[in-house]
Amino acid sequence: MTEAVGVFEEVGRPRLPVAAALRLAALVVLATIVLYPLLATVLDGFKSLGELHDNPLGLPRQWDWSNYWAILGGGAYWRVLGNSLAIALATVFLTLVVGAMAAFAFAHIKFFGDRYLYAYLQLGLLFPSTAAILPVFIKVRDLGLLDSYWGVILPQVAFALSMAVLLLRNAFKQIPSELFDAALIDGCGYFRFFRHVTLPLSGPILSTVAVIGFVNSWNGYLLPLVVLDSESRYPWTLGLMAYQGQYSTSWQLVLAFITLTILPAILMFLIAQRYIVEGLTAGAVKG
Amino acid sequence: MAGLELERVVKRFGEVEVIHGVSMRIEDGEFAVLVGPSGCGKSTLLRMIAGLDSVSSGIVRIGGRTVNHVAPKDRDIAMVFQNYALYPHMTVARNMSFALEIAGAPKSVRDEKVARAAEILGLQTLLGRFPRQLSGGQRQRVAMGRAIVRDPQVFLFDEPLSNLDAKLRVQMRAEIKNLQQRLSATAVYVTHDQIEAMTMADRIVVLRDGSVEQIGSPLEVYDRPANSFVGGFIGSPAMNMLNGRIEGGDRPRFLTNDGLAIVLPSAPHAALGRAITLGVRPEHLTVGGPSAFAAQVEIVEPTGAETVLNVSWGSASLVCVLHARVAARPGETLPLGFDGAPLHFFDAATGVALAD
Repeated sequence: MTEAVGVFEEVGRPRLPVAAALRLAALVVLATIVLYPLLATVLDGFKSLGELHDNPLGLPRQWDWSNYWAILGGGAYWRVLGNSLAIALATVFLTLVVGAMAAFAFAHIKFFGDRYLYAYLQLGLLFPSTAAILPVFIKVRDLGLLDSYWGVILPQVAFALSMAVLLLRNAFKQIPSELFDAALIDGCGYFRFFRHVTLPLSGPILSTVAVIGFVNSWNGYLLPLVVLDSESRYPWTLGLMAYQGQYSTSWQLVLAFITLTILPAILMFLIAQRYIVEGLTAGAVKG
Repeated sequence: MAGLELERVVKRFGEVEVIHGVSMRIEDGEFAVLVGPSGCGKSTLLRMIAGLDSVSSGIVRIGGRTVNHVAPKDRDIAMVFQNYALYPHMTVARNMSFALEIAGAPKSVRDEKVARAAEILGLQTLLGRFPRQLSGGQRQRVAMGRAIVRDPQVFLFDEPLSNLDAKLRVQMRAEIKNLQQRLSATAVYVTHDQIEAMTMADRIVVLRDGSVEQIGSPLEVYDRPANSFVGGFIGSPAMNMLNGRIEGGDRPRFLTNDGLAIVLPSAPHAALGRAITLGVRPEHLTVGGPSAFAAQVEIVEPTGAETVLNVSWGSASLVCVLHARVAARPGETLPLGFDGAPLHFFDAATGVALAD
């Protein structure tokens, strides 16, 4: 509590202790609402089924690691994790490559209709992928990509591009035009300027786009559900469903499975958090 | 090294013509300064020489070769920018060697050239640093190092000193001039500061609204301005301009528009009996003399080395720089004259200098 008060004082606005306490209480309530289910999930993975029924919300009486070991020792967990990782990494890679190049063109090159094309691309932001699931399914089927990784990756990239191009273009436009002039005289063309100057200077925004793309892909459910058929290609979201179907009475195993599958996304987010904030607020304040 | 030639160069942005047929010739090893008020097209002209902007019509030649459609990197030029334009993510050494790296020069050659340039500019201890770790003057020096490393035929400078403080500016001015002489390089330097132009140039090109007003050595431009714009732009404080007419006779007389008169030692024939603008430089006005007129002192600015007086004569305001110390006070009258001073006669309507 003293720490929190200290933070407010640093901002330079002295606050009444009551106001600070109320604020802290509100934050604690909010944090509890968000964090408690997560925590309960983790803890319940340590309980036996019987204990789970008696004591669903408290600490486990006996820390039972067998649920976690059973999942980590089985093939299903690693398979769904591997599938999710492959899909997410490919999505992020393609989003960054295609998005960065498109954003670079929109930021630096004037061509006929560039503004209309850009506006058209931004329409994607208004359009939830769920609404497009049927046309996407038909297109994926026509392309012969049903039940393949690409059938998930390509639509995910397409839906990630609007946001990626928006963020990247704005960041690329912040790069002073004199740098481009200097690079032109030094012998760079557009591509070399992109490769040697733009990309190295855009680390924070590229991380932001990568993390957003990764988390969206990692948590994707509907698209893989519609496109994928074989259980061997299921990402964790579908794998969890299959697992739940198989062990529907063993809640402790399902909860341990959930804990283990969302762990990578949480870790990724925690590591990249600084970059995300940096990237989203870049250019907002002169730095 | 090589000379540079522009022939009736025109630049249009859409319908708007911003450079109206500029021709000039800059000799091998010459330091040319393009000077003019902001918006006169001097930076556009430089960017056309560099190849960063296309030429709408006319010819640009570097070393006798027409380069209108040659890419900037193949024009054998190097450019120093106002904001330095150093690559923020590269060390000083890599900033300087980047052009060579792109051109595919082997590392040994790059290192040698960077070391040589660093030695010339005193940057040896800074090679491993990043631009953000350098002061303004050091950054400017790195920007010059980047130019030197390329061994160009022509150096282009786009207002390189305007981001520096006054003291550093004077120091870097001398350094650039010194460097250009040591490398006996051809240089084109753009500035809006006429003092920079006067002190650095072998040849000054005065521009206004996209046209050349005058080309000449600094003293030529100072002593014989081609028109009233050049007369007023070059020199600080600016030349005094008086509107009136010249009456002939045994001794020509200058009558101001409010009826005051002074006898002039001489006047060109072309100026007789017509409306003119008479130009006198502040430093050429003297106290006393046979044809002195009574001026009223408004402001006295002693700088130590000289005294700057703002005076009024009739409805005209004049500035006068005196090297002797005068005990003048605001409100007093002071006899001022320009006996023996070089006078400049400009046509009142066109501003063109009138000569014998």
